Amino acid sequence: MTVDRDVRLFVYERFLDQALPPSAEEVAAGLSLPLEEVEASFARLEEGHVLVFAPGTRNIWMANPLSAFPTAFRAETPRGAYWANCIWDAFGVVAMLDGDGVVRTSCGDCGEEMELRVEDGELARAEGVAHFAVPARLWWDNIGYS
Amino acid sequence: MLAFRSDAHVDRWCSSRHVPRGASFSLEQAWLLGRAWYEDKLSPDWRRARAAEAEAKFASIGLTGEFWRLT
Repeated sequence: MTVDRDVRLFVYERFLDQALPPSAEEVAAGLSLPLEEVEASFARLEEGHVLVFAPGTRNIWMANPLSAFPTAFRAETPRGAYWANCIWDAFGVVAMLDGDGVVRTSCGDCGEEMELRVEDGELARAEGVAHFAVPARLWWDNIGYS
Repeated sequence: MLAFRSDAHVDRWCSSRHVPRGASFSLEQAWLLGRAWYEDKLSPDWRRARAAEAEAKFASIGLTGEFWRLT
């Protein structure tokens, strides 16, 4: 649906410009759409696992790979610095913005800082591993935990 | 999905939090996963990958087996 595409692209561009997601009212104003139409689009995008909202609200929590709230994963890119939802998403922010950047996180166990550099689409040599606790088919049962 | 200094740190984290061990893989694979999943996310034509397409992306970077099954 065209309106969902337009809303999605507006959300991502505003999120990247301001490092914060827009409200439904801001999307409606930016796209000259009735608020009800944006809210209906938000509901479809949530159902389609494109946007995630803070529980009980219409405030965007995740527009994957971006997170509206601070996390343990920071992606620094030429366009800006952003919070990401997990290590996969932190790399995803860099990839989404053309493949140059630094991901800063820390070891989930000991807390030691980890700095992971991506240059020209290649990850610089880095010690460590990624771990996914939840099997793929269960991710969306609780995407915040996953 | 978290990052760890090594598999030994994953084991310790899982044990201390009573979390069953899931799948661990290299940071290089995590980068490739991020790229495969998100590099086209800002395209007007982007659409969410279907289950079989997602499995194919996982497999292309060596993430296979029951843990990664969606179908």
